Amino acid sequence: MGTPAGAGDRMDPVMPKHDEKHYWKSLEERDGAIDPAALPEFLAVPSGADWRTTRRGFLVAAGFGLAGTALSSCSRAPVERAIPFLLQPEAVTPGRASFYASTCAGCSAGCGLIVKSRDGRPIKLEGNPDHPVSRGGLCAVGQASILGLYDSQRLDAPTREGRRTSWDEADRAILSSLAEIRQQRRPVRFLTSTITSPTTRATIDAFLASFADARHVTYDSLSASAVLDAHERTHGARLLPRYRFDRAEVIVGVDADFLGTWISPVEYTAGYRSGRTLGDALARMSFHAQIESRMSLTGAKADLRVVLAPAQYGLLMAHLADRVARLAGANSPFELLAAPPVAPALVDTLAERLWHAREKSLVVCGSNEVGLQVLCNAINHTLGAYGGTIDLDRPSFQQQGSDRQIEELLGDLSKGSVAALLVAGVNPVYELPGGEALAQHLKKVPLVISFSSHLDETSSLARFVCPDRHYLESWADAEPVAGALCVTQPVIGPIGGTRQLIESLAAWSGAPKPAYELLRESWMTRVYPRRLADQPFEAFWDRAVHDGFVEVAANAPAGRTFAAAAASVPAAAPAAAGTLALVLYPKVAMLDGRGALNPWLHELPDPITKTTWDNYACLSPAAASALHVAEGDIVRIEVGGGSGPSSAIELPACLQPGQHDGVVAVALGYGRMGTERFAKVGPRWLEARPTVGDDGRVGKNAAPLASLSDGALRYSGAPVRVVKTGRRRDLAVTQSHHYIAVPAHLAPAGGARRPIVQETTLPAYVKDPAAGSHGHHEAKEDLWPSDHSYPGRRWKMVIDLTACTGCSACVIACQVENNVPVVGRDEVRRHREMHWMRIDRYYADRADGGVDVIQQPMLCQHCENASCETVCPVLATVHSEEGLNQQVYNRCVGTRYCANNCPYKVRRFNWFDYPREDRLQHLVLNPDVVVRSRGVMEKCSMCVQRIQDAKVEAKRQGLPLSDGAVQTACQQSCPAKAITFGDANDPESRVARLLKDPRHFRVLEELNVKPSVGYLTLIRNRAEGEGGGATGHE
Amino acid sequence: MNGRIVTIVLLVGTALAGTLLATRIGAVRIPGNHQGYEPAQPIAFSHRLHAGELQVQCLYCHSGAEKSRHAGIPAAGTCMNCHRVVTTAFGAVRAEDDLAKKENRKPNLLVSTELRKLYDALAVSPAGMLPIAGREPVPIAWTKIHNVPDFVYFDHRGHVASGVTCQQCHGPVETMERVRQMETLSMGWCVNCHRQVNQIGVAGKTVYASIDCVTCHY
Repeated sequence: MGTPAGAGDRMDPVMPKHDEKHYWKSLEERDGAIDPAALPEFLAVPSGADWRTTRRGFLVAAGFGLAGTALSSCSRAPVERAIPFLLQPEAVTPGRASFYASTCAGCSAGCGLIVKSRDGRPIKLEGNPDHPVSRGGLCAVGQASILGLYDSQRLDAPTREGRRTSWDEADRAILSSLAEIRQQRRPVRFLTSTITSPTTRATIDAFLASFADARHVTYDSLSASAVLDAHERTHGARLLPRYRFDRAEVIVGVDADFLGTWISPVEYTAGYRSGRTLGDALARMSFHAQIESRMSLTGAKADLRVVLAPAQYGLLMAHLADRVARLAGANSPFELLAAPPVAPALVDTLAERLWHAREKSLVVCGSNEVGLQVLCNAINHTLGAYGGTIDLDRPSFQQQGSDRQIEELLGDLSKGSVAALLVAGVNPVYELPGGEALAQHLKKVPLVISFSSHLDETSSLARFVCPDRHYLESWADAEPVAGALCVTQPVIGPIGGTRQLIESLAAWSGAPKPAYELLRESWMTRVYPRRLADQPFEAFWDRAVHDGFVEVAANAPAGRTFAAAAASVPAAAPAAAGTLALVLYPKVAMLDGRGALNPWLHELPDPITKTTWDNYACLSPAAASALHVAEGDIVRIEVGGGSGPSSAIELPACLQPGQHDGVVAVALGYGRMGTERFAKVGPRWLEARPTVGDDGRVGKNAAPLASLSDGALRYSGAPVRVVKTGRRRDLAVTQSHHYIAVPAHLAPAGGARRPIVQETTLPAYVKDPAAGSHGHHEAKEDLWPSDHSYPGRRWKMVIDLTACTGCSACVIACQVENNVPVVGRDEVRRHREMHWMRIDRYYADRADGGVDVIQQPMLCQHCENASCETVCPVLATVHSEEGLNQQVYNRCVGTRYCANNCPYKVRRFNWFDYPREDRLQHLVLNPDVVVRSRGVMEKCSMCVQRIQDAKVEAKRQGLPLSDGAVQTACQQSCPAKAITFGDANDPESRVARLLKDPRHFRVLEELNVKPSVGYLTLIRNRAEGEGGGATGHE
Repeated sequence: MNGRIVTIVLLVGTALAGTLLATRIGAVRIPGNHQGYEPAQPIAFSHRLHAGELQVQCLYCHSGAEKSRHAGIPAAGTCMNCHRVVTTAFGAVRAEDDLAKKENRKPNLLVSTELRKLYDALAVSPAGMLPIAGREPVPIAWTKIHNVPDFVYFDHRGHVASGVTCQQCHGPVETMERVRQMETLSMGWCVNCHRQVNQIGVAGKTVYASIDCVTCHY
C-alpha cells in the first residue's frame, strides 16, 4: 500500500517528446500536484477506522460465522409459485421480449424508440434505426426516461386544493367553473411547452374555441425563440428551420451546443457524424469551428475553438457577415465596425472557409438575441445555406415557444386579468426568472389547472391537478419535422389513475373519448389526406403504428425567400469592473430540470466537468485564482444590485479549463422540488453522508438569475459579482477516479509509456492513414501460453474516437441494460460509482493557450492475457472461448485483487447492497441480468445476455448468426455510431474490417494484455502542426 | 475388565450407527439440491394420464420451451381446449350414461373434483361453460418444481432445438402421477452432460455445447 517504493529515483513514466501532447484529466495533474502514476494502488480508508482483531475477537467471529452457515443450510428452500395466465394473450410468451415502436417524449426533439417489453413491463428503450429524425440514436435523457414510468411519487389521482379527489368530482367542478368563465367571456390562457403533436394541438384549439377570449401560450424554458423570431423578420414566417449537419462541409457554431443540448442533439449528432466519416469509400470530414464562452460538449469536439465573452458574439458575427458579404461581391451590411474581438486573420479564415464551401456551409447560433439570429440568417443567406444545409421547406417543429407571448402572459397575470390558466408540460414558477412573483400572481387567478404528473413548484399552487400519463402509457403522435409523423403507443397499462391530457380536454369539451379514438380520428382527418402513396386508412394506420412513424407531405408552404432585415450589431454592454458575465446553461443530463427526479441522470458524470449530483459555479482557473477561490469553495453569485431586482445563489466553485476568464457558468435544472427524495439514495451506514444539500434538495435553482425582458429569455451575459463565502462543499467529481496509469516500477523495461489516446490532423492522415500512431508494440516474450484458440466466434469492439462526442448516452444505456445501481453522492466521493462504462475526458494544452479535449469511452477491455484473471484466487473471472472476460458473480468472494490488478480500472465492487429509494423502480430491472449483491465484483460483460439470446435464437431458427445481430446496449444507443461490435473471426464483419484500419490502436498495448476493445485515432480537421498530437512514428 | 466392556459397547455402537448411516447415505444432500422434490399441486394434474396414456405431446402445453427461455406452465385456457368438453373421467361418464338409460332419464353432467377447481379458477359453470356472474377468475398458483437459482440462466430453446428430449432432464414424466424432480439440477450435472454431448452428440447429430461460465451465468 502507499506510494511505490523508490518513487524518488524512478524515471518519469510519461516522457512527452517535443512534438507530443501531454494529456491530463484534472488541473492538479497538469500542475503536477498529483502524479497519477504515483497514486496509491489502494484507496485510503476515508475515516479513522482502525480495527485490530484480537485472538478472542477472531474466535468469536469465526464461531458465529460457522454457526450461521450451519443454521442457514438447515433451512428448507422457499416454495416458489408459478402462476400462468388464465387466458394467454396470443402475442405473449412468458420470458420472451416484445418490441414496440414509439416516440420519445424526453424532450421535444421527437426521436424514434423501440421499446423492449418483458412480460408486460417495458424495461429498455432503444433508438429506432429507421427513424427519419433520430436515425437510431437515443440520448442519455431519452434512455433514462423509462425510469419515470416506475416513479411511485407520480400523482395517481386528480387533486383539488391539494386533496385527492375522483375524476368525476374534478370534472364536475372544473366544468361548472369553465361554464361560468365562458358565460362571463373572461380570458382563458393555456400555457404549454412546445407541442409537436398535431392531435394535441388540435384538441387544445378545439377546447379553447368555445371561449370568447382564449389563447394558447407556448414557451420553452430552454428557449430558441430568437431563431423563430429572426426567421419571421427575414423570411416572413415564424419557423424553426431544419439544420442539415449531414450536408454541411463547414460548420460554424456560435454558442450553440448542438451536439449536447441544443434543440435536437441526437438528430444533429447523427448528421454531424455522417459528415465526418473516414476510412471507407465515402470518406469525408467537415470542418467545425465553435465560438463559445464556456466549455461545451460541442466545443470540445470542434476542430477550431474560439473562446469569447458572450457580449462579443455580436461583434464577431457582424465581422463574419461583413467578410462573407464582401467575398460574395455584395455590399457590406455595416458601415463602420469596431475592431473584431479576435485576430482579424481568424475572421478571414472562417469567412473564407465558409465561402469556399458555400451552399454546403452552415452557421448556427445558440444565442437568444434576435439581433444575433438575424445576422446569422443573413450570413447563411449569403452563403446559400438556405435550400442546402438549412431546410425551410420542411421546417422543424421541435421548438415553437415564444418568449414574447410568455412575457405578455406574465404581465396579464400580474394584473390579475386572467380568469383561468391551464398549465401542461411546463413548470413556470421554477423555470422562469421571477418565479416567486409568479407564484404570488397565480393566487389571483380564480381557476388554475395543472396537468403535471408530479407535485412541483407550479402544480402545488394549482386549484386542480389533473395528472397526465407517462408517454409510455399513452396514445399520442408527434411531428418533430414537417412531414415526419411519429406515433407514440402505450406499452403498459396505466400505473395509477391518471388521464391523458387530450382525454381531459375532450371530457371538458363535452365529448369524452378515449385517447386512442381521438388519435385515430385525428389521423383520419388530418394525417391520412397528406399520404404519399394511395392505400386504405387501415393499412396506413397499421403501418404507422408498426414502424413508429410515417412520412407524409410537409404541409408547409415552400419557397420562402430571404428579405434583408435591418441587421445591426447588438450592443454589447461594457463589463463593469469587478464583475463576471453569467452564463446559464443546460447540462446534458439535466436540461431544464426535466431530469431532476431521475437518479440515473443525477449520477451521470457531466461529460465535461465529470461532476455528479450537484450544480456548481464554473470558473476558469485564472478567474478563480484572481478571486482566491479553489475547487469546492462556495461562492456567492449576485446578480443585479443597485436599482434593479437582485437575486443571488451560493454554489461550490468548479475550475473549468477552456472557459473564458470573464465568465461564470452555472447549470440550470437543479434545486427542484421533489429532489428531496434523494435524501434516501445510496447505502445507509454509519459514515454515510446525505446526497442532498442543506436545503434538502439536489443543487440550487439558477433560473432566478436569468432575465425575461423585451421578448427574450436571456441566459447569458448578465453582469454578476462573485464573492467567496469561506465555506466549502466537496463536489462528487469522477475525473480523478480510475486513472489509467502504470507506475514507473511496473512499466515495461525500456519502454516509455505511450499516451492513452491517439490523435492526428486530417492532412497528416491523408498523407499517411497511420499518422498519429504510437507504433504497435510487439511482445518479444510472453508470460502467458497462447492456449486460447477461439475456434468459433471472437467478440471484439472498436470505438471511433473521431465519431465519439462524449454525450454519455452509452453510460445510461449500459446502466439500464445491466441493472447498474445508483450509489449516491457520498459514495461517488469515495470513488465507488458503479458505472460499467465511463467516459474518460482528457485535456491537452495548446500552444495558443487553449485546451484540446478528447473523449474516450472506457469499459472492460476483455483482455486476452487479462491481468484480473491471473490474480483471482477462486477463478471467478476467467476467459471464455469467444474471447470474453467472464465475471462469475456466484463464484466471487470479493477479494478485489482483480480490480486492483486491472490496468484499465474498469472493475466495480459492490460495497453494499444498493437499495433503490423507490421500490416500484424494481420493475425496470432487466430480468436477464443478475442483480449483484454485496461483496461481489462486477464489470462490463459486453452485454453477454444479448449475445446468448442471439446465439440461441439463431440456433432455434437454424440460421447462422449474422453480423449486427448482436448489438451491445452502448452501441445501439450511440447517436454518433462510434461503437462497432462483432465477430472478428468473420472476415466480412464490420469489426474485422475496422481492426485492419490503420487508425486502430489499443490502449496500454505495451503491457501485452491484448485487449479485445480497440480505438480508432482521433482525427482533427486542422493544419498539421496545429496541435494534432504526435505526427511521427516511433 | 470395565475398560474392555466400554470399548466393546463403543465399537458396537459405532458399527450400528455406521450401518444406519450407510443405508441413508443417499438421502444426504448438499444444500440447494432438491432431487426428489415432489410437492402437492393445487390441482392433482396427472402427467401419467395426459402425457402417458393419452399421449399429449409435451410441447402442446409447454409450448414456451420451443421459443422462450421458459417452457412455461400452460394457461388455464389451454386446458379448456379439451376440458370444455371433457368434464370427468371417461369411465364415469359411460357408467352414468348406462345408469341413465336404465333409469330412463337424461344423463347428469358429471364434473370431477379436480376439474371443478379449473372451472372455479376460470369462473365458468361446467354446464355450458358460461361465465358465472359476480365471480372473479383467479389464476392457479402451481408450485414450481424444477428450480434453479437466480444466477443461473437456463434456456429451453437451445436444448429443444438441439434435439435433447424433455425426459433427459425431467425424467419419465409420462409415468408420474405427481411430478417429481428426478435429477439434481446441479452445475456438475449440467456440465457433465455438456461435456458428454460434445463427444457423442445428441440423437445422432454432432452438437456443440459450450462449457463457458457465461453460457449460464451473467
